[in-house]
Amino acid sequence: MSSYRARGLTRRDFLKMAGTGLAAAGMSPLLGACGPKAAATPAAGGVPTGQNLKFWWWGETEAPGLQKWVDETAALYKTKSGNTIESTLMDTAVVISEFQTASAANAAPDNIFLWNGIYHMESAWLGYLEPLDNFFSAEEIAATKPTQLSVYEGQTYRLGWYSCAVLYLYNKDMFDKAALDGNTPPATWADMLTACDKLKTAGFTPIVGGLKDGPWGEWYMGHGLGQNLDTPGDAINLFIGDLDWREPRYYEHWTKLKELWDAGFINDDINSIDLYPGIDLFGAEKGAMTAIVAPILGKQISLMGGSEKIGTMVFPTFGVGKLAGKPIADCQGLGISSQSKNKEAAADFLRFAHDPERVEALWKMASAIPNDVSFDTNLIEDAATRELRAKWVEGDTIPYISNLMPGVFWTDAMFVNSQKIISGEYTGEQAGQNAYDVTMKWKEQNPDLVEKYSTWAKDLGV
Amino acid sequence: MLRTARLTPWLYLAPMLLVLIFTFGYPLVAIFDFSLRRIRGISGPFIGLENYRQVIKDDVFHEAVVHNGILLLAVPIMTFIALILAVLLFDRPRGWQAYRSLLYVPFILATPVVGVIFSNMLQLNGVVNEGLRSIGLDVLALDWIGSPRLALWTIMGVVIWREVGFGIVLFLARLMSINEDLLDAARVDGASWWQRLWHVIVPQTKSVIEFFIVVSIITMLAWVFAYVYVITHGGPGTATMVMELYIYNFAFRMSQLPGIASAVAVILFLVTLAFMVPLFRLRSASEMEEMS
Repeated sequence: MSSYRARGLTRRDFLKMAGTGLAAAGMSPLLGACGPKAAATPAAGGVPTGQNLKFWWWGETEAPGLQKWVDETAALYKTKSGNTIESTLMDTAVVISEFQTASAANAAPDNIFLWNGIYHMESAWLGYLEPLDNFFSAEEIAATKPTQLSVYEGQTYRLGWYSCAVLYLYNKDMFDKAALDGNTPPATWADMLTACDKLKTAGFTPIVGGLKDGPWGEWYMGHGLGQNLDTPGDAINLFIGDLDWREPRYYEHWTKLKELWDAGFINDDINSIDLYPGIDLFGAEKGAMTAIVAPILGKQISLMGGSEKIGTMVFPTFGVGKLAGKPIADCQGLGISSQSKNKEAAADFLRFAHDPERVEALWKMASAIPNDVSFDTNLIEDAATRELRAKWVEGDTIPYISNLMPGVFWTDAMFVNSQKIISGEYTGEQAGQNAYDVTMKWKEQNPDLVEKYSTWAKDLGV
Repeated sequence: MLRTARLTPWLYLAPMLLVLIFTFGYPLVAIFDFSLRRIRGISGPFIGLENYRQVIKDDVFHEAVVHNGILLLAVPIMTFIALILAVLLFDRPRGWQAYRSLLYVPFILATPVVGVIFSNMLQLNGVVNEGLRSIGLDVLALDWIGSPRLALWTIMGVVIWREVGFGIVLFLARLMSINEDLLDAARVDGASWWQRLWHVIVPQTKSVIEFFIVVSIITMLAWVFAYVYVITHGGPGTATMVMELYIYNFAFRMSQLPGIASAVAVILFLVTLAFMVPLFRLRSASEMEEMS
């Protein structure tokens, strides 16, 4: 992609030219098959015009301002292409189910918002998602950094949209006051325990969060479990029972959670508050460290009146796997329904949404950190966000392995284990046993998915 | 001619019957059908009773059933509290109309709103516990929704707080229509407040009490989802898991197995029916008795 730009051509111009050439020569059976019906008129770039595209999306709750961006992008795209985008903001509870139900009823939208990993891969397995490789070059796809978890049998089902990196923040001021180095966050588990001890002695709550609604436990698992894995494929092998949760290294992260809790290093009300109020304790300077995802960094900066006091950190290392100690990249994504009658136009809309001008607008309007390599990081003014973008989007990252867990594992193992450890009902070992039991239950309930997961494990085993 | 006359009422009823069949019959049949399939999207292969087998052997489902059973304990408590408060209001103490409105207010609040308010108030460091601490009652400042020992009882308390208002208004309406002569006669005969309650008021309000009990049982079995979902999400762990939340988890939250969700919905439907049929029979018997 960068080579197209070096010659003074935008990616879009290049593809328009290529599309026109193909259409003129009648050499594209793919375009013919997926293209418009008789009423549609091809635009100058070979993309059908006069189409009405349905776009179901989500994200306003985590990136306020996204609605405005979607509306503006739709309006600009209509001017540019003549195609109308009919956007619908989905409710969080039905982001997955609504698309699958609509697809089963043959009423799916053309463009669809997709969470990463299993949250869109099941739709791909059901045949509801179009492989994007049919419409985008490998370079174009890579330029949006959709992560390894969007690939199944060599085909990619999402373009990255904005970063949802999973990381820890720490309060540099509190670190300084606790006689710690505010510029050097803890990197190993021993460092972490020492830091927590000093912070507690200095009168600060070392770690704050809210566990009542569940995602904090999911994030914790992403930070912790990955440390004892060599590849994301190992995680899948755990979730389908080919590796055993009862091995100490696979439940070590829950043992460590208990260690932090028993030592009084976590806010005492974590089990009775939700995720966001828990994180906001950090913004209110009532805690020294917290887990976040990229879209909510802006709020913490605003709560603390700037990012001077905020440091970003990778969760300290205790594991010995190859994934240990690396920043966790994740992103929200966009895809195309396999049922779309306007796939070419749907792809064109996605391409337009990734135009450098739109990418810049995404940052300016919603403060969502774009995943695109084309984004000019200099537009980010505060140091913490710049660091996040540099390390968690552009750096040497690993995928977020919690995105691989089957649904029933989320509700019956991850959610239950993290809360029961805090309430004192489980040890790490018991959590491992429960994870194993839930895995076996999932296998029995989903025999049709086990093979898909096994295949995926091979994709992710590198 | 006779034949036409017989059909005529059905012709008039037909549109409404069709609406009823479509709105109630079809979903019911669909749920039974779903419960016998491994649903992916809106259909899937027939797998017989496998979904039921999976549900029956699932420990989480067992816990959900037990929790719904525990919540049923709230029914007599709610009924008793509502009846006593209604009778006290019926005695028309000063400002009774204001009290009546105040006691009814919780019931007109939307359940999720009630849930959000209580989940904030009852956090470990929420308003309730801060208040208790401020008056030196630290020992009572418990982790109401974060402790697995307390969370279900906390939810029960919130449900009672809201639903009692409905009972009060129902009972009070019935009390207003009782023949005052009966109560006056009891007073003249020297009956105490409790005796009047037990021997006059309760028999006279029997049908309304039965109605309230039926509605409350349905609430505890099939209408507690909003309370649980908003206040605890089923946690800590599985401490407040109930059948509706179990259904929701399998149908929407993450699991995406509508077949299993449907199997539980069928079980819940049959259990509720098993409670309702004898209760309705009892009620119609007592109505016949009253009429005779």
